[in-house]
Amino acid sequence: MIQFENVGFRYKRGPEVLQNVNLEIPAGSFQFITGESGAGKSSLLRLLFLDEVPTSGRISLFGRDVTTLTRDEIAWFRRRIGVVFQDFRLLDHLSAAENVALPLTVSGARETAYRDNVTEMLQWVGLGDKMEVRPPELSGGEKQRVAIARAVVASPDIILADEPTGSVDPAMAERIMALFVEMNRLGKTVLFASHDLAMIEQYKLPITTLRDGTVSSGMGAAA
Amino acid sequence: MSAIRGKGALIPFQAASGGLMLLIVAAMAFLACFALAGALATTRIAATWTEGLAGAATVRIDANEDDRARRTSLVLDILRDTEGIIDARALNERDVAELLTPWFGGTPDLGELPAPGIVAVTLDTENEPDPTVVQARLDGAGAGAIYDDHGRWRGRAAKAARAIGNLSWWALVLTVLAIAAAAFLVISIAMVAHKGTIEALRLAGAEDRFVAGLYQKRFFWLGALGGLIGSGVALTAFVGLDALSSVRAALPMLDAPYYWPFAWLGIVLACALVAVLAARLAVLTTLRRRG
Repeated sequence: MIQFENVGFRYKRGPEVLQNVNLEIPAGSFQFITGESGAGKSSLLRLLFLDEVPTSGRISLFGRDVTTLTRDEIAWFRRRIGVVFQDFRLLDHLSAAENVALPLTVSGARETAYRDNVTEMLQWVGLGDKMEVRPPELSGGEKQRVAIARAVVASPDIILADEPTGSVDPAMAERIMALFVEMNRLGKTVLFASHDLAMIEQYKLPITTLRDGTVSSGMGAAA
Repeated sequence: MSAIRGKGALIPFQAASGGLMLLIVAAMAFLACFALAGALATTRIAATWTEGLAGAATVRIDANEDDRARRTSLVLDILRDTEGIIDARALNERDVAELLTPWFGGTPDLGELPAPGIVAVTLDTENEPDPTVVQARLDGAGAGAIYDDHGRWRGRAAKAARAIGNLSWWALVLTVLAIAAAAFLVISIAMVAHKGTIEALRLAGAEDRFVAGLYQKRFFWLGALGGLIGSGVALTAFVGLDALSSVRAALPMLDAPYYWPFAWLGIVLACALVAVLAARLAVLTTLRRRG
């Protein structure tokens, strides 16, 4: 489903962030991506949600070379990818429910058709009582859970999470982690980027480590 | 309040930019109404002048009194015998004096003036005679008369009216372009403020046309409302002008045409349509530029 072949990437005239990255992630798998700050984790995810294009090599997503996609196709592909950003990227002028509903709204679905789905999602992340609350009034952990609900509400094939536990306490981090594991059990492909090696090694799941722009693979210690 | 408000709430439009757009469209619609009225009026003036002068001709008979009666009779005989001329009538002294009154500020004494004799000719508009042929026949008979079918005046008057009409149409086109430019500018500025929101929409899978649609809907209503206000004010001004009997008497061709409600509706719809098209162009251009 996701294939990187000798992928290189740099921001404009900056140094190369990724070099000759080869990676294959099967559908339905759970993959941790780790590495120190600046190792290229976020860049790798940005390539995957089509916010950037590789400067060299080839990325294949759902069987298509991403550099050949038209603008409309990019939009269509993004609907099949749910993203949880490190900085949440919630829209402050919308309620929590409207933020969660965003992928469904932009896909043209009718509000009456997805209202129950959005409510269910917010209840799933434990925010059923905060439907009408706007992001500025939510805590960091609550914002993170709204972002998670938004990432999964449209039932995407791939879920990308960039440091989703980076700004929450350990108890909340565990709760968020459990949500991603549950999504993976539901058949979603999950790529979870985190620099918290201690946390991700608790799970017996594949780990891709980025160091100086190159990758090495391994496995978590215990389930 | 519902927790989910739908598409309309996605972009946080500012009242200030909406107010500015409304003001610009209203002002442009006001000017468009005057440009349209000017274009329609000059078209009607051209038609009135052309039609008024068509179907008629004049023959001027030399002012020399010698033999005037015989030459007038000769001219009338030739004219009545010419195909395409329905009637020919010699004006009496009183008619000629009336014609000259505007230039003399009072009824002139024709006994002291070398005024020419005038013959009014009614032409068959379907079959007007060739003026050169008529003139040749008059010359051949030694009538000392000049045939004038007003062709030169008709041409000049129509040309002048058409030129003014064209200017009015161009003014209308420029007004439309100004509305488009204003919408383009207002949206380009708004999109800078909405950059984060638009980015979030695109990352959620919004196509360019979806984002454009959000702006189009907003600018359709701004365009329509601006058009309604501007043209409404213009119509009120027209009604006011019409009520002034002096204006009405001087410019009868400014009477509202029977289709004015459609013209009004057309201006309102045109304002909305131009604003929508400009919005679409501005959004798509900006999104493609951002990559």
